[in-house]
Amino acid sequence: MTDMHPIQVTELSKQFPRKKRLGSVHAVSDISFNVKHGEIVGFIGHNGAGKTTTIKCILGLLKPSEGSISLWGKAPADSRVRKRLGYVPENPDYDNSFTPMEYMNMFASMRGLAGTQNDWKKLLGRVGLARWETTGIKQFSKGMKQRMSLAIALQSNPDLLVLDEPTGGLDPIARKEFREIILEENARGASVFLSSHILSDVETICHRAVILAGGRLVAENSMEKLLGEENLYRITVISRKDGKEVEEVIPEADLQTRIDSLRRDNIRIVRVEAAIKSLEEVFLTATGGGESQ
Amino acid sequence: MKAVYTFSLMTLHMLFRRRTLWGILLVILLALAGIASVPSFDVSNQGRFILDFGLFGIELGSLLLALGLAANLYPRDKETRTLMPLVAVPLSRWQYLLGRFFGAAIVQAAALLVTCLGLMLILLFHKLPVPGDLLPATLLIIVEGWFLLSTVFFFSFFASPPLNWPLTTMLFIVSQMSVSEFTGLLPSAPGLMRVLRMILPHADVFHIKDPIAHGFSIEPVYFLIAVFYGLCYSAFMLSLALAVFRGRDLK
Repeated sequence: MTDMHPIQVTELSKQFPRKKRLGSVHAVSDISFNVKHGEIVGFIGHNGAGKTTTIKCILGLLKPSEGSISLWGKAPADSRVRKRLGYVPENPDYDNSFTPMEYMNMFASMRGLAGTQNDWKKLLGRVGLARWETTGIKQFSKGMKQRMSLAIALQSNPDLLVLDEPTGGLDPIARKEFREIILEENARGASVFLSSHILSDVETICHRAVILAGGRLVAENSMEKLLGEENLYRITVISRKDGKEVEEVIPEADLQTRIDSLRRDNIRIVRVEAAIKSLEEVFLTATGGGESQ
Repeated sequence: MKAVYTFSLMTLHMLFRRRTLWGILLVILLALAGIASVPSFDVSNQGRFILDFGLFGIELGSLLLALGLAANLYPRDKETRTLMPLVAVPLSRWQYLLGRFFGAAIVQAAALLVTCLGLMLILLFHKLPVPGDLLPATLLIIVEGWFLLSTVFFFSFFASPPLNWPLTTMLFIVSQMSVSEFTGLLPSAPGLMRVLRMILPHADVFHIKDPIAHGFSIEPVYFLIAVFYGLCYSAFMLSLALAVFRGRDLK
């Protein structure tokens, strides 16, 4: 049944030839992961880690050098697959001579969707472009183009949303709105593959994360497991040797025993707190301190 | 085919809103007006002179329009990243290519018909007869224009617009050459040059300006065969363009 996942990436590698025939650049090497039905999967990595290359391979814009990609068990170019897909590109741009409503109508017609002007108006309102339907796109900011891109992606009520840095140019309020829309779409039944630099977004809404560094997959797990499999506590005590603070992280099950033992030994406990890892910590650890390629 | 139809309309709207089309159209019309104002010292018949050079001007206009409208379409789509959302989801690559081609072809045909109308008005202004075959002659130039357009599309998938212009113009010039003129380019290999000339397009079949200027009528069969040849060659060039485009990684 693994073949029927909305996204199944198997041993994907992509190389680009260097100029002047100086070998090739390995953008991604031997990565495998999947996105299951109804999941929101975060795709994170530093600049040049290979996120956009992977997404373009998933969408059929780039041909894998090795490995395979399937969407619901079919090739990305399959028209039946593309009908179920919504895509928000990184830094989207549109022809300046059109308005959002014209674009909505054209994309709907190209995809054979049966919606009306009113439906598209509502959709533009949902992404925050309520009063801009008939304004020329040349007047749009980067954030407005991203909103429009999301509206186009949502037109067909897609079963899979592929979002490449969708909140990059947005202010915090707009980012929150985007997150809410993604959660609403997920609640409707859509699977979401979200590439983002904004780790707090990924941490907040994703069920699982795939971490890429230098074109290789360095971590992949559910958010709970990445952030800590069990409840951990950090105990800070004063060291007898040099009088400095020393930290110790222990599982919740051993907490009481450890505190009792410290008290018995007359070791001064400064504080006891929940040791929650942030996704940023996980990311920095997995990618070797955030070292760029 | 609905996607191709919609995308053609989108391309058509886009091209009509760009200044390039109107600029080229103005240049062609001014050139036609200029031709009409030149006294035909050596030509006994002023009407024949205007017709001959006017149709030549329209033919050059078709080359200008093909290059001006299409040379930058794909490179610009790629550079501005408008290509990605299109090719990623609603359109497949062949639909993108056909949509852009048909949109540009309609705009080019409309512009060439306007220049034909301009030539008619110039002839009427000079109180000269308008030959009945002027419209078929323009239609053949339109078919030639579509062939040039498909050539521009083909080159645009691997050449930048500044390189596309000389490449297409070179093919345009070669396509006008007779076998003897072409073999004269490399006299040491006449056999090879003859075979090459046979494969390369023969745009001379679209030129009926001389018989029209001299008052000869054009056989409908000839007209139909020339149109068929032009459409087949355009389809061949588009197939080549698609083969190149399909192999392209869209970074």
